[in-house]
Amino acid sequence: MTTTANTTVPATKRDPKEFASPLKPIWCPGCGDYGVLQALYRALGSIGRPAHEIAFISGIGCSSRIPGYTTAYGFNSVHGRALPIAQGVKLANPDLLVIVAGGDGDGFSIGGGHVAHAIRRNLDLTYLVMDNQVYGLTKGQLSPTSPKGLETVTSPLGSLEEPINPLLYTLAYGAGFVAQGTPADMPGLTALIEEAIRYPGFAFVNIQSPCVTFGQEEQQIRAHKAHLRPLAKLGHDASDQLRALDVARSYGKVLHTGVLYRRPDPPPTYERLVRERQAALAPKAVDRLRLLDVFLQK
Amino acid sequence: MRELIDGSAAIVRGALDAGCDFFAGYPITPASPILMQLLRELPKVGGVAIQAEDEIASIGMCIGATLAGRRALTATSGPGLSLYSENIGLAIMGEVPLVIVDVQRLGPATGGATTVGQGDVQFVRWGTGGGYPVIALAPSNVQECYSLTRRAFDLAERFRCPVFLLTDKELDMTATTVEIERYERPPVRAREVLAGVARSAAGAADASVAIADPPPYRYEPADRVSPVAQYGGDTLVRFTGSTHDERALITKAPAKVAALNEHLRAKIEEHADEIELVESDLDAGARTLFVAYGVTAGALREAVDRLRHEGRAVSALIVKSLWPVPERALRTALLDVDRVVVAELNHGQYRREIERLAQGLEVRGVNRVDGELITPEELMEAAR
Repeated sequence: MTTTANTTVPATKRDPKEFASPLKPIWCPGCGDYGVLQALYRALGSIGRPAHEIAFISGIGCSSRIPGYTTAYGFNSVHGRALPIAQGVKLANPDLLVIVAGGDGDGFSIGGGHVAHAIRRNLDLTYLVMDNQVYGLTKGQLSPTSPKGLETVTSPLGSLEEPINPLLYTLAYGAGFVAQGTPADMPGLTALIEEAIRYPGFAFVNIQSPCVTFGQEEQQIRAHKAHLRPLAKLGHDASDQLRALDVARSYGKVLHTGVLYRRPDPPPTYERLVRERQAALAPKAVDRLRLLDVFLQK
Repeated sequence: MRELIDGSAAIVRGALDAGCDFFAGYPITPASPILMQLLRELPKVGGVAIQAEDEIASIGMCIGATLAGRRALTATSGPGLSLYSENIGLAIMGEVPLVIVDVQRLGPATGGATTVGQGDVQFVRWGTGGGYPVIALAPSNVQECYSLTRRAFDLAERFRCPVFLLTDKELDMTATTVEIERYERPPVRAREVLAGVARSAAGAADASVAIADPPPYRYEPADRVSPVAQYGGDTLVRFTGSTHDERALITKAPAKVAALNEHLRAKIEEHADEIELVESDLDAGARTLFVAYGVTAGALREAVDRLRHEGRAVSALIVKSLWPVPERALRTALLDVDRVVVAELNHGQYRREIERLAQGLEVRGVNRVDGELITPEELMEAAR
């Protein structure tokens, strides 16, 4: 199958169980990532592409374990570097559906520099960040999205730093699709992941995925259920970038869920432009085996 | 027939001829000419070349592209190599074929961006955590920039590991007259891809069964290199930077971890003779053996010619496969001499390897770290 955008996927749905690997997750009982994984299985079932057409790339962290729990081609790589590796995979084989996942530390601390460039390059990638405002795998250190004043083992007297706002960050760099979900609303989260995959370009979903071990009380599923504010019910216009930026400003204060921004006129993806250029140059191409000779004749 | 060409262009040609179809790099003197030329040339042959946001992303993209079936190259200099470090370890652990050009400049830090150095010799060998072996080739002239680039791609496939091409600012950026007939074209093998379970187009209902079947890695015997399981291929493979078993599933089981790590060592070190590449110019009556590599070999060739013209017996060994150390060739060359002179543009990094092999012999270095080349006269002086 040749597709240049994930929107041209077959209509046939698949059983979400096809995407569940035999490995059992080692997350803490009650971790939000279990919900994310289930939502992902369901979204992939709706998308309908078989596991062998999907590459799932992650960095390092609790949430970065997620590719191993799916049947897709997977890569649990190095801390913060999932996006460059995923872009390499997508450029090498644009027919693969490429999903990238990681935590808030992976995406907005050590790997933060790559996010802006993945956005401006606009390959057709879906980036799922499981944001729990804390470093879970390394046992409770301050994360780039931890609220100011938070006491952790690396901010014993309270953090002096403002958190990164992932929604504002990705919108400001021009991401064509920005959404936020929580496993406290499974149908909503499933729909967001599916919509992000279908968006033809770089799509970002910030998933508020509670850490039951090191997270704060007000970040747990129970609190999410009580306080989440679905954008659909607020009459939000997801085609309006300025409105989206306005909603994004309340990150950390209000738990908005849904699509903040979906660019109504998605530009061609990077890989499509690469293919067009290759095709345009193809008539001038020379046989590789003759390359040395061609150079020499110049 | 002759042409005027520099090492950068020769490396680019070697890569294109070797079937390279992916390049990612970040501008840095003196490696930028490789980036600039491949950004122009690769799209013409259906390849992809990209200027990444930094060196970490450059090598990351190359690793990703290789996993999805491409033959990848990246090029940098010392400061960029520092940023490659973690992902070099990832490529070693994931057994990712990859060619990395390090166009050396004078260090440390920014050092001399436009001045020559050979200070990365030990850095490429030990440049990532863990201390696992890598392969490094060092062309000693422009023709070899072409042929050893091809050789590097071949070795990357043979051993499934990162292979370094260690050049320098002078070799890459100084145009030289080359006799066209003197380009050697060593063969470059195709990637051996793991044949897996046939999958019906209808579906992957049994996908969980197809995961890592057959296993994408083999550690028994330890030196055996497995075919590559690629994304988009038959086997639903995972890659990980963590210790893993033969199915690439994360494990801490000591026996499995030991088998993995012994494999990463043995597949290269047990095949050092296969990688060994030297230019051996031994004189039966010589008491002195000169050893050099890279751009410094040029001065050595001239010094040897002139010394012999003066009637002096002298031997020379030009090392083209720096890592693993070509011990067989070195031991042979050391057999009948009393004295070894190792010439290099650093404080004696490779001399350490020679001293290890030349127990009981006098070993001295001719070294420069001032951004200038070692001259034939300095070497002739050292022979006296």
